[in-house]
Amino acid sequence: MNRALHTLKFSEAGVRGVVGDSLTPQLASSLASTFGKYTGCGRVIVARDTRNSGKMLEQAVIAGLLAAGCQPLILGIVPTPTAQLTVTHFKASGGIVITASHNPVEWNALKFIGPHGTFLDTRESAELFDIFTQGNLDYCSERNYKRLRYENNAFKLHMGRIFKEIDVEAIRARKFKVAVDCCNGVGALYSRSFLEELGCEVVSIFDRPNGIFERPPEPLPENLAELEKAVKTHNCVVGFAHDPDGDRMTLVDNDGRALSPQYTISLAADHMLSENPGPVVVNIQTSRMVEDIAASYGCDVFYSKVGEINVVDMMIEKNSEIGGEGNCGGVIWRRLHPGRDSYAAMALILEMLALTNETMSEICASMPVYFNLSEKFRCGAFQAREIIYELRKRYCNYECVTFDGLRISMPDGWALLRGSNTEPALRLTVEATTRKQAQKLLDRFSNEVKTFKS
Amino acid sequence: MQPRKLGSAGIRGIIGAGLAPENAIDFACAFGTLANGGRVVVALDTRFSSEMLHQAVISGLQSCGCEVHDLGIAPAMLLSFAILELKADGGLLIGGGHQKESWNSIVPWGGNGAYLNSIQLRELFDIYYGRRFIACKWNKIRDVVPVPESIRKQYFDVLCRAVDTETIKKAGFTVICDFCNGSGSVLAKEFAERFGLNLIPINNILSGILPHDPEPRPHSAFQVQSLIKALKSDAGFVFNSDMSRVSLVSDTGETLSEEFSFPLGTNYLLGKAGEKNLRVISNICTSKILDDVVARHHGILEKHITGQSNIIDYMEETNAFISGEGSGSFTSSDWLPGFDAIYASAVILEAMAATEKTLSELVNELPRYHIVKRTVDSSSMHAYNRIRAIRSHFRDARICEIDGLRLDWKDGWVSVRASSTEQVIRLISESKDKELAEDRALEISTLLENMN
Repeated sequence: MNRALHTLKFSEAGVRGVVGDSLTPQLASSLASTFGKYTGCGRVIVARDTRNSGKMLEQAVIAGLLAAGCQPLILGIVPTPTAQLTVTHFKASGGIVITASHNPVEWNALKFIGPHGTFLDTRESAELFDIFTQGNLDYCSERNYKRLRYENNAFKLHMGRIFKEIDVEAIRARKFKVAVDCCNGVGALYSRSFLEELGCEVVSIFDRPNGIFERPPEPLPENLAELEKAVKTHNCVVGFAHDPDGDRMTLVDNDGRALSPQYTISLAADHMLSENPGPVVVNIQTSRMVEDIAASYGCDVFYSKVGEINVVDMMIEKNSEIGGEGNCGGVIWRRLHPGRDSYAAMALILEMLALTNETMSEICASMPVYFNLSEKFRCGAFQAREIIYELRKRYCNYECVTFDGLRISMPDGWALLRGSNTEPALRLTVEATTRKQAQKLLDRFSNEVKTFKS
Repeated sequence: MQPRKLGSAGIRGIIGAGLAPENAIDFACAFGTLANGGRVVVALDTRFSSEMLHQAVISGLQSCGCEVHDLGIAPAMLLSFAILELKADGGLLIGGGHQKESWNSIVPWGGNGAYLNSIQLRELFDIYYGRRFIACKWNKIRDVVPVPESIRKQYFDVLCRAVDTETIKKAGFTVICDFCNGSGSVLAKEFAERFGLNLIPINNILSGILPHDPEPRPHSAFQVQSLIKALKSDAGFVFNSDMSRVSLVSDTGETLSEEFSFPLGTNYLLGKAGEKNLRVISNICTSKILDDVVARHHGILEKHITGQSNIIDYMEETNAFISGEGSGSFTSSDWLPGFDAIYASAVILEAMAATEKTLSELVNELPRYHIVKRTVDSSSMHAYNRIRAIRSHFRDARICEIDGLRLDWKDGWVSVRASSTEQVIRLISESKDKELAEDRALEISTLLENMN
């Protein structure tokens, strides 16, 4: 089969594809025009990460927006959360971020932000794609073209908003020495100055904004050996690892040990609830650690489907101030803006360190211990659903959550099976209180899945 | 039919309706494929939609792996100059040129600094229609390189050697230049300085607002005309927005037909060269003034298919001295391979300075004809058949069909052809006798309308 058919993916996570193959400037421009029309031909924020193909796609997007009669407001290379917050700040009717987030370097994507600074949800994305499919847009006429605008200080706005909400002086007073791994992504332009503004002495690695990822772009512990080394060598109190577009973050403790991404939301929630108790919303791929922490403050935890917009929607519904996605190191602090933000996460962790007087490893030691393991099976979306339906029958006597795949509660942990939104795969995630038990769970469900394999 | 044309002057259309970003990207990708991911220079004019096309074109070229050099807002022949200077494989010019508001275009240029010729165009269009473009891998996409501003200085250095700059300088002319708010005004200051001109620019805001019909014609010269005497000017120049055409306003305030520009230049250049049998290339619908001028200097006039691409290519092929078109443009073998209104203006200023004659005196040395230009709407599948059908109505005329239909009588001629840049049939009628020229134009336009 043609490879192009396989690498293009339309979903609520945007439209992603491989540059030089399926993601062409023609497609980017048409999508941008459609989005421009869909959001009412107003001001549209355009942002991108450091990927080499970003500029090429940005120009196609700008052309598409101009032709639709929009006024593109161009931010250049900024973190995705900056773009989200800029949409509401500049009263834009939407935004397009050109980033394939943690996907490998040859990928890129257009992600669509609605007028409230949140990504389009499933229904809105479906509406957008429906208009796109019908084609034949009414383009703007020569007379009604609007001029391009540029905004070069968007991140300053973002930083200012974070600093207003945290105890900057307390952090500055501690003069922390920290390490940051920017993955040669957007962090390379902003993280050092952000941390230095907080009085930190900064050791940075992979800090060239060239989009050439020198480690796998997903901030998972197994990809963070260099950051672990940097933390150890320089005696840092903490290490922060970004993904390329700066919405997700993983921690390395002061002993130079990369933590599971589940710790990012867990620690942020712990710190937040210690001052402002309230409901927490996380996706169902999040560790039970959050539930334990919330319980210790007498707070509720609500589970949403996987995907930033799903967490955000439920946070609004439950009036929750803090939420996130445990599996990928995503922290959402609603007061700042409703989206995952690795800069907000860094600020919260630093404030926690500053106010508690404990080291990172001491804080972690006081946390409940869980082990997560996962496995990926290549299979189409439809087959994935068939497998999930069948397993629901087999495990009908267990406590199950079925609104996004299948999450089965076991006495000593849980297992989650769900079809991926970004690739043709079925993902199995398990959690248990011991590594051995987690492995047992993984083996058990892995074998269950394999019974379906032809 | 969609308001879009693909022809020797590239892809053109009404913005939104016929020329959308997808068309622009496809066209740029076809060009990038033809250039095999090589070096391409890009320039734009000031129309409202030009920035959109500019972004689309660069994106398309980058996706083919091209090394894009961005000249920004620049006239056509500065692009030509930059292509040669940067040894590029070609260039794309974005702009409305002489066309009405809401039209825009992307014109492809070759590595020789000229419009693509008919063979290259055929290759380009085959790629465009087939829509299978080369696509470079993500890590082969190249950054856009801005062309340094010093390119303008280099351009004027060469121009000053191509004409008799000292003589022009000494004359100390006062001129009014109407840039039609197009890209030409970026050269105004240096043009004035280099040639010692007291240059009064009008309509020189870089804007998509068209102050008048962008085609240099007597009716678009009124603003210059109203100033010429008041400001005691020696000449007025009315440019189109990409600086390829010019029409003149004389010192006495006469809004001259654009058909005078080419013969005026030719008359002077042939006289200055002082040789017989010099070759001049023109199209089949240029005023007979030119025929008379070339005959006066014992030159050889050849008429070819209308359009800069054809005329320049034929000039190179036949090693001609001068080429041009009645629409107000010409060049010579001393200059770049394209129509440059700055060069044309400099030649006319040199003619005035060297002969110590006023512009009106120079014009009075030329024969006068009456020329009528009309357009008939042709957004129909039957435009070509309608032109063909005209033939049978004029059995007394000599017929030439190398480009549309040309009818020749002893006392005048008529040309009827489908425009390659707009959805119109262009009708030109010329005669010594004003009434006759007008009657023939009316008769044929009525015939064309009636065949609707």
